[in-house]
Amino acid sequence: MLDTLIAGVLRGNVYALGAVGISLVFGVMNVVNFAQFSFFGLGAMLTWFFVARLGLSFWLALPLVLVVCAALGLIINAAVVRPLAKFLPLAAMLSTYAVSLILDNTSQAAFGANSRVFPQVLQTSNLHVGNMRFGTADVVMLGITAGVMIVMSLFLKYGKVGRAIRATAQDQEAALQMGIPVALVQNLSFVIASALGGLAGIFIALYVGVADPTSGLETGMTAFVAATLGGLGSLVGAVIGGFVLGILESFGIYFFGGSADQIIVFVILIAVLIIRPGGLLGKVPLISSEPLTGTFLGKGRPFRIPRWVWPAALAVAAVIVPLIGNDYVLSTGTQVLVYAIIASGFTITAGQAGVMALGQAGPIAIGAYTSALITLYLHVSFWVALPLAGLAAALIASILASPIWGVKGHYISIATLGIGIVIVAVIQLIVPLGVQGIPWPKIGDTVLFTAQDFYFIDLGVLVLTLLVMWRIRRSHLGRVISSVGADEVAALASGVRVRDYKALAFAISAFFAGIGGSLLAHQYTYIDTSIFSMLMSLVVVTIVILGGVNLPYGAVVGSLILIGGLEALRFTDELRIVVYGLVLILVVRFRPGGILVRNS
Amino acid sequence: MKKLLQRAAVVSVAGFMALGLAACSGAADASSTSGSGKKSTVYFGVSAAETGQYAQYGQQFKEAFDLAVEQVNAKGGINGHPVALKYEDSQSDPKQSVPVAQKFVGDSSVVLVFGDYSSAASIPASPIYTAGKLLQYGFNNSNPDFTAKGSEYQWSTSITTSDTYKWTADYIKKRGIKSVGVSYLNTADWGIPAFQAFKSEADKVGLKITDSEAVLDTADDYKPSLIKAVKGNPQAFVHIGYGPDASKIVTQLRAIGYKGTFFGGQDEESFDGTPAAEGAINGAQFVETSTDPAVKSFVTAFKKKYPNETDVTSFEAGAYDALNVAVAAAKKGGITRAGILKGFKEVKDVPSVVYGKITFDPTTRRVQSPQLTPTILKGGKWVVYNG
Repeated sequence: MLDTLIAGVLRGNVYALGAVGISLVFGVMNVVNFAQFSFFGLGAMLTWFFVARLGLSFWLALPLVLVVCAALGLIINAAVVRPLAKFLPLAAMLSTYAVSLILDNTSQAAFGANSRVFPQVLQTSNLHVGNMRFGTADVVMLGITAGVMIVMSLFLKYGKVGRAIRATAQDQEAALQMGIPVALVQNLSFVIASALGGLAGIFIALYVGVADPTSGLETGMTAFVAATLGGLGSLVGAVIGGFVLGILESFGIYFFGGSADQIIVFVILIAVLIIRPGGLLGKVPLISSEPLTGTFLGKGRPFRIPRWVWPAALAVAAVIVPLIGNDYVLSTGTQVLVYAIIASGFTITAGQAGVMALGQAGPIAIGAYTSALITLYLHVSFWVALPLAGLAAALIASILASPIWGVKGHYISIATLGIGIVIVAVIQLIVPLGVQGIPWPKIGDTVLFTAQDFYFIDLGVLVLTLLVMWRIRRSHLGRVISSVGADEVAALASGVRVRDYKALAFAISAFFAGIGGSLLAHQYTYIDTSIFSMLMSLVVVTIVILGGVNLPYGAVVGSLILIGGLEALRFTDELRIVVYGLVLILVVRFRPGGILVRNS
Repeated sequence: MKKLLQRAAVVSVAGFMALGLAACSGAADASSTSGSGKKSTVYFGVSAAETGQYAQYGQQFKEAFDLAVEQVNAKGGINGHPVALKYEDSQSDPKQSVPVAQKFVGDSSVVLVFGDYSSAASIPASPIYTAGKLLQYGFNNSNPDFTAKGSEYQWSTSITTSDTYKWTADYIKKRGIKSVGVSYLNTADWGIPAFQAFKSEADKVGLKITDSEAVLDTADDYKPSLIKAVKGNPQAFVHIGYGPDASKIVTQLRAIGYKGTFFGGQDEESFDGTPAAEGAINGAQFVETSTDPAVKSFVTAFKKKYPNETDVTSFEAGAYDALNVAVAAAKKGGITRAGILKGFKEVKDVPSVVYGKITFDPTTRRVQSPQLTPTILKGGKWVVYNG
């Protein structure tokens, strides 16, 4: 038991150091910064490069790594995050995702993708308590975590700049009016956080023993959960969250096994958020506009689409593309269409209800597995399984998500992310092996399996989806859901049961996610849980933001760019993802409200 | 100015989308019209991860493929026809490997495709290759279902996970070890079926598994799982996984004070260089330090071409073999899609750096009776172990 406790403390220590930087940026910028995870991997790889390749001493390499990370942080903030964060935290979040793509892939191109042995710059197993060994590295890390926390707390409490940071965190515009140079403060916070990210990366790599350019992603994610657990924006909370999570996780794994790891992490998080919606130390905002979307709806209106565009678009999609496109185009088209279906259904949650749910891979997986298993083992026809997949996804996802609708703002994003991951992890426990030989759809005795067949099936479903979404938007129900997203407090004051409508919107989105999952499963004929990754959830969210968070048809354009674009960039080969990230940043930079939304 | 920027943004987005459509449609007509006198080039496709989570393996494959192509062409190619590869990055993601498969099928100059890496990317692409009558050579697919549930167009020279871990259980038992603790990767296409094979064989031969723990390959900290796994004081420890996770596992296993023999790991840079990994024992197909002349000349040529690579691993060796097998099949059956398939059914005793010689079992479309060699990690290098 003592062993497990010590293992938990060591683990919590890593999370705590990672969580501090995340919490700092969030407090000041109100932005979920995905690029922070990349700094973990980057810090580790840079240190490996300086020490193992160039032969520098660790004590020379350490400040170098911090400086490089800090400088990169400054560039990223000045060029990408800050211009967007002021008005559109959602667009800023999307651009940090693009930045992290660029950072990871550049680092991979520069250092190679191999896992490397991380140099033992500090002893890692020279001390022990009982059987459990640990090293100077762990003690130093503990010291640094404590040091950073104390220095940062004092700095924030008494330092002039520190107080400016806190003022900015509390109310940006008021701070600006009081003469605080908000831009400078935000740059500084970002720089500190990036350097802390690099530092955390070094210690994660030391603790683990190996490093690769994407290492630290998993730990970073958990550190992020720790920051949320402690209360986003609170440094002490981040440290406490880190240790609490580390210790509970350690015992959880001991009792339930490593395959339950992610389930344990997110169940802890969701349990805490239900009891304390602002995290352990975070304040619960009394009146909270949804920070992700509230400002969004006010800015910009969608372009007016002339009537002739709809039949023209349908003609292009249904006649011209199949006529001139070869199987490669059509098979790329199937992927574009399926993601458009999923994303289009998601707009009612993300746009109308104003809940930026990050875990759509969960309902997609439910749909895929339901459809695959009932066609394989109960010999249900695909055409019956397709709507059943949607219903199952809606039902199961709604039940699992039902406790979280009282949670607000960014917290609900993290909570839904957790639900998505938990769903996939539970499926992995129930169906441990991949499902192969999922039957193709049939009409009569004709088996539909070519790219063209799937293209038409997907197109048909997409048209239906858009019609349904359009009907919902125009209905009374749609307007009520929109009122929830536009101004939750006003809606509540008018007697709208806000929680129920959010749940309903989520169920509708899950239905279409399930449909999409079913379509993918029957086209691939093989599924395993590795397909339904966090990346898949992020792709869905990105498509929606790109097209215009409130526009079902915008999702089609978003999908064309995001899924089609990946194929279109095949000419650059290794730099494909980097270019992809750059394009994403440019699009977001110039059309922050979405491609089909007029800038205001 | 602002108007201008806006317009520029709209135009660039529109342009990007048009580019998307254009790039999609421009793919099919890549087949080269052979000039006078010179013999036409034979193209093999490669569908693998060049970026993303699995990029490490994609890079290893590429290095070995390029070396093999160089050597084949230096010796006159396939009956005078030079060989070239067409790479497509799939990120081992079915969303991309499926269109890539269509692209290759539509490209009539491609006569065979290597890949993909993971089952989740390879198997969804299989029906497309089958429909296009294009041979899909999953040289790296250890999942038995890739070939077993595939068609006559799916072939592999990888030993299956079930064979590997049956062998491992037998070998451990033969060494007089009575009990083992086990950790295995919680992955549907590899770790879980591998563990199932190990467990059923262990039960059969009477090897006691004191505890087994599923772990995530992306995790960093395995101590809580390992503390539990060694609680029953097993004589030895088995980790069913890859190199990077095995190096973390073995380090943390020593950190919690476990001293028994470690079975597992892989001939891979991060594992070989891990101090705690010293003395690990593993069943290997390819042994870099082997005295076999074919292996020696391959290792020498590889290190000459890539001086920065410290290790030559089974991943590179597998890809190198795969290209030579494909060339041998094309020589035998002809340089068309149908010819290659015929060649795969007929080739015998193709020289191999992994198996010595490769002959396919035409019913399983895998290598006939593949053998494993016990190896031990000594001074950062795997050597044949006769202990």
